[in-house]
Amino acid sequence: MERPPIEPLRTSRKLSFLDDQQLKDLQEATLQIMENTGVQFPSDKALDIFAEHGAIVDRVSQIVKIPRDLVIRAMGKVPRYFTLGARNPEFDLILQDGVSYFTNDGCGHNVVDFKTGEKRASTKKDVGMAARINDYLSSMAFSWTMVSAQDCGLTSPLHEIDVTWRNNTKHYQSVTMMGEKICRYGVEMATVLRGSEEELRSRPPLSLIVCTIAPLVQDKEAIEGALVLGEKGIPIVIMSMPTMGTTAPATYAGALAVGDAEVISATVLMQLANPGTPVFHSIFHAWADPRTAAYVGYPLDSRARYAPVEIAHHWGMPSLGGAFGTEASEPDSWRAAAEIATDPLMVALAGAEIVTGIGLRDTYTTLYPESFILDDDIYHSARFSLLDMDVNPETLAVDVIAAVKPGGHFLSQKHTRKNMRTSMVRGVSHQLDKMGKYRNPSEYARERIQWILDNHHPEPPPEDVQKEINTILKIADKELKS
Amino acid sequence: MSEELYKKLMATVVDGEPEDAEAIAKEALEKNLDPLTCINKGLMPGIQKVGELFSTGEYYLPELIIGADAMQAALEILEPALVGGQKREIVGMVVMGTVEGDLHEIGKTLVGTMLTANGFKVVDIGADQSAEAFVNAIKEHEADIVGASALLTTTMLKQKKLIEALESAGLKDKVKVMVGGAPVTERYAQEIGADGYAEDAISAVDIAFRLMDAPA
Repeated sequence: MERPPIEPLRTSRKLSFLDDQQLKDLQEATLQIMENTGVQFPSDKALDIFAEHGAIVDRVSQIVKIPRDLVIRAMGKVPRYFTLGARNPEFDLILQDGVSYFTNDGCGHNVVDFKTGEKRASTKKDVGMAARINDYLSSMAFSWTMVSAQDCGLTSPLHEIDVTWRNNTKHYQSVTMMGEKICRYGVEMATVLRGSEEELRSRPPLSLIVCTIAPLVQDKEAIEGALVLGEKGIPIVIMSMPTMGTTAPATYAGALAVGDAEVISATVLMQLANPGTPVFHSIFHAWADPRTAAYVGYPLDSRARYAPVEIAHHWGMPSLGGAFGTEASEPDSWRAAAEIATDPLMVALAGAEIVTGIGLRDTYTTLYPESFILDDDIYHSARFSLLDMDVNPETLAVDVIAAVKPGGHFLSQKHTRKNMRTSMVRGVSHQLDKMGKYRNPSEYARERIQWILDNHHPEPPPEDVQKEINTILKIADKELKS
Repeated sequence: MSEELYKKLMATVVDGEPEDAEAIAKEALEKNLDPLTCINKGLMPGIQKVGELFSTGEYYLPELIIGADAMQAALEILEPALVGGQKREIVGMVVMGTVEGDLHEIGKTLVGTMLTANGFKVVDIGADQSAEAFVNAIKEHEADIVGASALLTTTMLKQKKLIEALESAGLKDKVKVMVGGAPVTERYAQEIGADGYAEDAISAVDIAFRLMDAPA
């Protein structure tokens, strides 16, 4: 069956919220934090690498202070653009200026069952379902672990890779792989899928996102896992999530400085270990509610929301922008749409190379399958908003206007017949029922999901590849679960 | 030979080609074809097909309107050529207009076209028409239904005036009144004594059929 092509957000326009001086000041703050305060790396492996390259390493506190010249040297090795390979070569993503590739949200742990409506813990099957829906949608350029395979125990990240590849032919970015052992298995699976280490390096079908721990701490398992992928040239996203008031200063600039120091210190490590490792920069800042300490992603004032994208570019790094993380718990409320409505437009104008992620509710935790379609609609609205307008004699239609005369109407015009079909593009909110009345968008979204699940079955990896992957999974299960 | 021309005539309506429709209607008359048969075997199946394609979602409004334009272009040639007591078969006769003081055309034009596509004969008297003009047209065309459109809260009051004028003229029991337009509601229609109200052109057709007591 025909699958729609990927339709990334493309624009030659740029929106800058930070001026050169602000970018310099932010970078200077990051350099000072790394040089004077330091970042904690609870990993002997990481500490050894830093020590070898002349950073000031305190083995007791595990805090590394990184001199600025070392930072600058290491950061010079980060590639600005590279390729994210896909199972299907047509879906390889070549990073470039003016193009933003989107994916779904992750990593949730609840699913509102599509058949029963029951809210329950997510399973491997749900990961496969989300991957299949992602594979069909043109808004989705690559795939993320949307929910976790909680029925698979410790090796769930590997089972998530397996079920994603069986249901999705785009690039897969794991949100859950942690630790050296799991990551070695992940790399092995990717090598089998790609056929050779050279192919794996030039068109990696897998990448990994790891999170730091604010303020200024790296996660041992995340860092050591990322180093394993770095050996093979597999792209890594380093994401920090500073929360203003609790894990970061309650001022936006201060929070970004903390988040940036976490991302840059980890990126420096990746470059010292394996120069040229592709790394994405990402800061998902949030606010702590000053009365409840609850995580707030969308307060009324979230000015310069995509400043982190500019910070990444200032370092010469590609950026992963965070979008669509509504706090609404319903799939289709005013809140679910209003909080995120401008996200895709703003993040594309800021120039983020990759962007997550549509479809979850309850601050990245709950999957309603129909939300995929509702958010996809908001995505396409942004995509159309960024397209150029056609102005030429045919579209100006001055002759048609003359023929209609003042007070007439255009419905009788052949020009109208030719253009009216395509001039209004129908989103989920303008679907008609048999009586010509607008349908309930959620009901339509559910039908679309049902249709995709019934009709879209992407080709799984070749049988011999799948067999090898199954063997790796069995060995991993045996070793890691025992 | 004649069958072929009926098919061509039908195609001009389905494809929405008013110039061709006019030319083929003339050709039919030159070849001494019966104008009524041209209407019944060429134009009517054509406009029915257009209605069908519209209701299945294949055709959009411009195809519907241009199809009706093509039919109208052919009718203007064929109808004057009807002889003796010949009359084309119609579901009902409708007089349609926008009330006095209101210049909005498009709503009632759409309703008129939808009705034409469904077998009604529609006389569109235009916008800004007085109650008197409506009454005269109803008498002249022996209308079964009158459709009065109003787009403004200030002009919708003229729909009530029209009904009062129909009562004075003794026409209220002879003609069914349909009202429509953005500010008009079902409740308002009932209050002023109208027989039918529809919020869009598609449902207006159902109402018109119901008023004619014919199957929709």
